[in-house]
Amino acid sequence: MPEPMPETPPTGVIHDLGYRPYDGPRQTGRHIALALFVSGFRNAFGLGRSNKSKVLPFLLLVINLLPAVIIVGAMTLFNLNELPLAYARYASATQILLSIFVAAQAPVLFSRDLRHGSIALYLARPLSSAAYAAARWASLLAATLVFLLVPVIALYVGAVLAELDFGEQTRDAAKAVVLAGLLALMLTGVGGLIASISLRRGFAIVSTIVVLLLGNGVVTAVQGIARDQGELRVGEVAGLFSPYSLLRGATTAWTDEEFVLPRGSGAMSATYFVVMVLVAIVLFALLLLRYRRIAGR
Amino acid sequence: MQPGVIQTAGLTKDYGAVLALDDLTIDIAPGITGLVGANGAGKSTLIKILLGLVAPTSGTASVLGLDLAADAPAIRARVGYLPEHDCLPPDVSASDFVVHLGMMSGLPRVAARERAAEVLRHVGLAEERYRPMGGYSTGMKQRAKLAQAIVHDPRLVLLDEPTNGLDPAARDDMLGLVQRVGHDFGISVLVTSHLLGELERVSDHVVILDSGRLLRASETSEFLDVTGTLLVEVLGDDAQARMGQALLAAGVPVQRRGGLLALEPAPDLTVDVHDLVRDTALELGLGLVRIQADHRRIEDVFADA
Repeated sequence: MPEPMPETPPTGVIHDLGYRPYDGPRQTGRHIALALFVSGFRNAFGLGRSNKSKVLPFLLLVINLLPAVIIVGAMTLFNLNELPLAYARYASATQILLSIFVAAQAPVLFSRDLRHGSIALYLARPLSSAAYAAARWASLLAATLVFLLVPVIALYVGAVLAELDFGEQTRDAAKAVVLAGLLALMLTGVGGLIASISLRRGFAIVSTIVVLLLGNGVVTAVQGIARDQGELRVGEVAGLFSPYSLLRGATTAWTDEEFVLPRGSGAMSATYFVVMVLVAIVLFALLLLRYRRIAGR
Repeated sequence: MQPGVIQTAGLTKDYGAVLALDDLTIDIAPGITGLVGANGAGKSTLIKILLGLVAPTSGTASVLGLDLAADAPAIRARVGYLPEHDCLPPDVSASDFVVHLGMMSGLPRVAARERAAEVLRHVGLAEERYRPMGGYSTGMKQRAKLAQAIVHDPRLVLLDEPTNGLDPAARDDMLGLVQRVGHDFGISVLVTSHLLGELERVSDHVVILDSGRLLRASETSEFLDVTGTLLVEVLGDDAQARMGQALLAAGVPVQRRGGLLALEPAPDLTVDVHDLVRDTALELGLGLVRIQADHRRIEDVFADA
């Protein structure tokens, strides 16, 4: 007698290779922008990209951190009672590395999508062109802040461990953080805008470095001459024309540090801060405008 | 009839120097719709307007029942887009890229991973999906572009010249995929081409644009109505001539068309014309290669217009 067919169906599963619709959750604007920000932030350090693209950002990060590590080492070794390089001077001291970092990584976030046409795929998705630009801008800002703040934090931790005055150190470090934030806002604006206009990575890098470092070089020269000629007012006004000289002006006004020029009048000091914020706002607005034009093409 | 997936009323886009769309009113039904027109007929402009990227000079449009002016982000969340031009970064793998774009369409990360793997399999990118896209052939790039257009399971995809630059075999593959997306995946498709012939194969409806104006919109089958003419091909010594004469003698008007005979049997013919052709070929000792119904081609519409 043949065995009866089993009542239960066979347990083996035949995988359905047909198309399955998606009916799970869908996120809206803010979450998508956040996802774009996070992936952009990672991409700025070469994470989620090829191994080759990790080399430059991490190399720069390490070189940038090196002076801080040496300072902390020296401090513990020789029992120094103050930091040989003030928090607020660090960004100025390493401005070449910082400029290279911003100049080289801004194209990763802005030029790439334009050059390869993938911007069309982003713009065909829920985020508006303004939200896209803002998320990219925020990624670059965050990466620049990491670059600026890691050495400051290293110095601060070293100083606190070396038992320097805690209140004084905290106050100085906090001021440096605020100044770094203002600088990062300006650098992100410059780097982002240039990278969104120039589709070629090399061209964007060179242009950004020229604007940041050459601009600063010219301003510094003018300020030096003005100081020698006793025309301090001319030097102070010249300081408004480059991000790094604005930083120096604001640092001089707010901390005990002095650079090319001595501390000026109170009105001029406030002007440095106001101009820094204005520069950041204007550059951000131009970036949004640029992407609105790209979307309409 | 189901509600249309795309409806426009008096849509006009004036670029100043060029009138890209001129008072366009169309109603596109679910299914696969071919959007045909020469380069510069306004196809790409229409797609950009439907995505909410370009504002029309005047007129209104709705996509998937959502008003374009008010709900553009919601429309973009439910629509997929395959651009005509290159849009793939060369240093990223198709897998990573499609996951990322899935998230940009609002899928959570885990869902985006699953969906990306699935759609890449559907478009036929196997192991190569882990390689950087810079090394892909044009056909593979088009597949990756299609995958990103459907990763978020849209209700409608806008495919701008998906067969552009493909060799004939890859073109057939892509048209087959378009057909699967529209019919098996249940995603409505608007596919543009400047080649009429390839769209009549895959689309349910055809919309023809000419200089930004609507030339004609109707079901593909209407374009391709059977004309009643029968095409016959025979092999043998002087086959076409002998066959033609024999059929004429049997009372069927015959014309030569290339290597074929075009028969136009009168409606009141007593015998079945297929049987007649078969028997005649047998009597004459000729090889009968094929008998086929003669369809109109979409090209003929232009001749009529």
